[in-house]
Amino acid sequence: MSAIVSPVRKPLITGNKTYHQITEDLISPTEKTPNALWVITFLMSISLLGFGLFCIAWTIWNGIGTWNLNRTIGWGWDITNFVWWIGIGHAGTLISAILLLFRQKWRTGVNRAAEAMTIFAVICAALFPGIHVGRAWVVFYFFPYPNTRGPLWVNFNSPLLWDLFAISTYFTVSLLFWYLGLVPDFATVRDRATGFRKSIYSFLAFGWTGKAKHWQRWESLSLVLAGLATPLVLSVHTIVSFDFATSVIPGWHTTIFPPYFVAGAIFSGFAMVLTLMIITRKVLSLEDYITIEHVESMNKVILVTGTMVGVAYLTELFIAWYSGYIYEQFAFFNRALGSYWWSYFGMMFCNVLSPQFFWSRKIRRSITWTFFLSIVVNIGMWFERFVIIATTLARDYLPSSWSYYTPTWVEIGIYLGTIGLFFTLYLGFTRVAPVVAVAEIKSILKTGGDQYVGENAKHHHHVKHDVNEHAAGTSIDIDENPDTKIK
Amino acid sequence: MNTDHATIDHAEDIKHFVFEGKQKTTLLAFIVLGILCMVGTFFIDSNRFWTNYLHNAVFFLGMSFVATFVLSAFMLAYAGWHVVMKRVWEAFMLFLPVGLIMMLLVIVGLWMHGHHLYHWSMDGIADPTSPNYDKILAGKVPFLNKYWYTFGTLIIVGIWTFFAYRLRSLSLREDEEGTTDYALHQQMKKVAAIFLPIGAFTSAALVWQWVMSIDGHWYSTLYAWYATASWFVAMLALTILILIYLKSKGYYKAVTAEHLHDLGKYMFAFSVFWTYLWFSQFMLIWYGNNGEETVYYNLRRHEYTILYFGNLVLNFVLPFLILMRNDTKRKYGTLGFTAVIVFFGHWWDYFYLIKPGARLNALHAHHGAGHGHEDAAHGAGEAAHGAAGHAAEHGADLAHAAGHAVQEGTEFAMGFTIPGFLEIGTFLGFLAFFLYFVFNRMEKAALMPKNDPYLAESLHHHV
Repeated sequence: MSAIVSPVRKPLITGNKTYHQITEDLISPTEKTPNALWVITFLMSISLLGFGLFCIAWTIWNGIGTWNLNRTIGWGWDITNFVWWIGIGHAGTLISAILLLFRQKWRTGVNRAAEAMTIFAVICAALFPGIHVGRAWVVFYFFPYPNTRGPLWVNFNSPLLWDLFAISTYFTVSLLFWYLGLVPDFATVRDRATGFRKSIYSFLAFGWTGKAKHWQRWESLSLVLAGLATPLVLSVHTIVSFDFATSVIPGWHTTIFPPYFVAGAIFSGFAMVLTLMIITRKVLSLEDYITIEHVESMNKVILVTGTMVGVAYLTELFIAWYSGYIYEQFAFFNRALGSYWWSYFGMMFCNVLSPQFFWSRKIRRSITWTFFLSIVVNIGMWFERFVIIATTLARDYLPSSWSYYTPTWVEIGIYLGTIGLFFTLYLGFTRVAPVVAVAEIKSILKTGGDQYVGENAKHHHHVKHDVNEHAAGTSIDIDENPDTKIK
Repeated sequence: MNTDHATIDHAEDIKHFVFEGKQKTTLLAFIVLGILCMVGTFFIDSNRFWTNYLHNAVFFLGMSFVATFVLSAFMLAYAGWHVVMKRVWEAFMLFLPVGLIMMLLVIVGLWMHGHHLYHWSMDGIADPTSPNYDKILAGKVPFLNKYWYTFGTLIIVGIWTFFAYRLRSLSLREDEEGTTDYALHQQMKKVAAIFLPIGAFTSAALVWQWVMSIDGHWYSTLYAWYATASWFVAMLALTILILIYLKSKGYYKAVTAEHLHDLGKYMFAFSVFWTYLWFSQFMLIWYGNNGEETVYYNLRRHEYTILYFGNLVLNFVLPFLILMRNDTKRKYGTLGFTAVIVFFGHWWDYFYLIKPGARLNALHAHHGAGHGHEDAAHGAGEAAHGAAGHAAEHGADLAHAAGHAVQEGTEFAMGFTIPGFLEIGTFLGFLAFFLYFVFNRMEKAALMPKNDPYLAESLHHHV
């Protein structure tokens, strides 16, 4: 890898870190007793999760009638939440796969946590198809297997079935990708651990010793998985969009849905990554690894994808008029000015207008603003799904069946429960695995560390050449500088 | 790559590109060929000429737009690898005003009723008492009218041109006055950042006007993204071909297999992306099975079979299979060969977008009063293929059409069913003109930029 780094690039690792310090900083959180803040958050999350489980049990025991769905509005918070969580699950694989293919070095600061987030979000999402069918005990009907029920199940013509395949494939590949990255880091944890802990991590690290051959295979497999995961990132939300767009319902049947759902998913995923990482970097003191540069880059992604979503919203509005099709025109009129107008304006404000604040460099680099706006975007993307689902269904072809829908406490409880589940899993993850990919951070130290790159670089432009001009196999003391040595 | 070699290569590349007399003569010969083909086509069938003209004008203008857009996006995304060859894309983007002038001829034709590319341009289209009245198109008149077509094109391409020339002049100033605080680079990034959202919104509006409105009743929200992806892949393919050619002439020694590999990856990835958009649009329309929408694909799949499947073979199957392997993106021969296929393929794609609809429009215009409802032939096509859909709304037209328009406008016709020699000649003429312009602009500046903050990274690029 070239070590020529443009002078306009900012360092991605600050604090003049050595390899050893990186190990210390990133592994030690898994070795200490959690602080009070962690314990309180964990208790809150697990309580929410408990309440969610209670609501799910309530639904299954009493039936789907405990939700406020009606004959007109057959999909409500359940599918809204499902699509919302699936969307959030996109950023992780985008960061780890697509940004890996694009060789974006800033991904190393956030990829591990984002991938973990992906997996947890997909788990939350996967709950909903299981319970919204009402009869949870026949959920195995989802799966194609030899059966005696005749040709009725499974219906290969149904996008809902494609969804099942897409999400399970996505989940599998994301999990493999995440675990693959964890293997060398688990080995590092193992090497520092003792006793029972050591044997657990020995098992998890698959006997990794860091041999050249290990790394070579590890890198090949990373690229292969990245190549597989990239089309998957697009396919998952594309197929989720098919759930709506294959119908002939005005407002759902529109060809822009696939790419626009994907853009929206990346948008909401990055917002959630920001929400999580801003808290994590503070609690675990990771400011040197998740720098303001990382935050700014992610804010730029939010600005770009938010504007893309905006282009799609306006395209839909325009083409609805242009189509000359009165039902299509009405669907959009109803979205903006009908009984659910508040959700449409919430969506427009949160998703299209609020990211525009990120045009300002000052706001992009402000942690407070970023945190606030990331939550606004999360809310906005929830609204978007609600707008698409509830608003459209509420006003169908037959005015006598028009309806309005508000959720019951059970539906709200299940949603809160998934948030509890998400945070319980995430908080657990921060205890058992390094939140930032140790091996990958080390791989960019010489091209991203602030002692090599940027204003505070010790050997401006010079040492980089030296380091790289050494033939393979020879060693070099990269810490020959006394400033770095004493640390 | 070793640092010293790169420095030597760089020094060589600073020498200016010389647009040789022989190259000029060859390109001029092709331009003349193109003009002869166009004149010939005009006298054989004026509609064939106009569709060819619109096709090529939009295709080359679009590539120029996409070059501006991509260069801006790369700059904002901190991309470094492409800097050695950014002058090629700069030359592409300078073509914007020329493209605008080419579009002026279409606009003049629109005002003079010289062509029937667009059914909505007929007199009385929105007048219920006129025999040309078309209820659906009447609803679109606020957007589909010659005023908006003219001023929309002029203003929007004018704005693009402004940004393209601004970026170019800053880039040239950076060569001369660039300092290590990279103030000019920062300024370029600002220009690029403003251009991106403007380009994204406005290009969609123009694609709808220029191309989608040919099939005037039909609409698809995905269309603009699809058309832009097509431009982008074509632009990448042409970039690869130009770089390989210039390397063979001894220029651009610093552009190595590493850079071409990355361009190849882009071409591969965006060929797949184009296919993704193609499939998304097709699948949703096929699945929805709504007659107003399926008419578009029925016409193309059944009456323009070669165009329809050829499009997928050229733009998906071949690049996908060839570029899948690592080494094919690093061998100039294979990469160049694929680039030729893909470049021609996306030209073919625009042919496929424009021709079937424009052919029906002209046919209806010639039928004159009382016959010429676009609905009629569309509806007939639909009836012939048994798609019911929502066609009931146009039931009257259907009944009217069933009698006489079943085969008309869809039988084999060279230049419509497939591109003929005249189309290929016209294409080569436009291509030669585009290249003449690009080489001319490349001659006006150093091939290799100076003082770009990413230049060193780009020279040492290694994948």
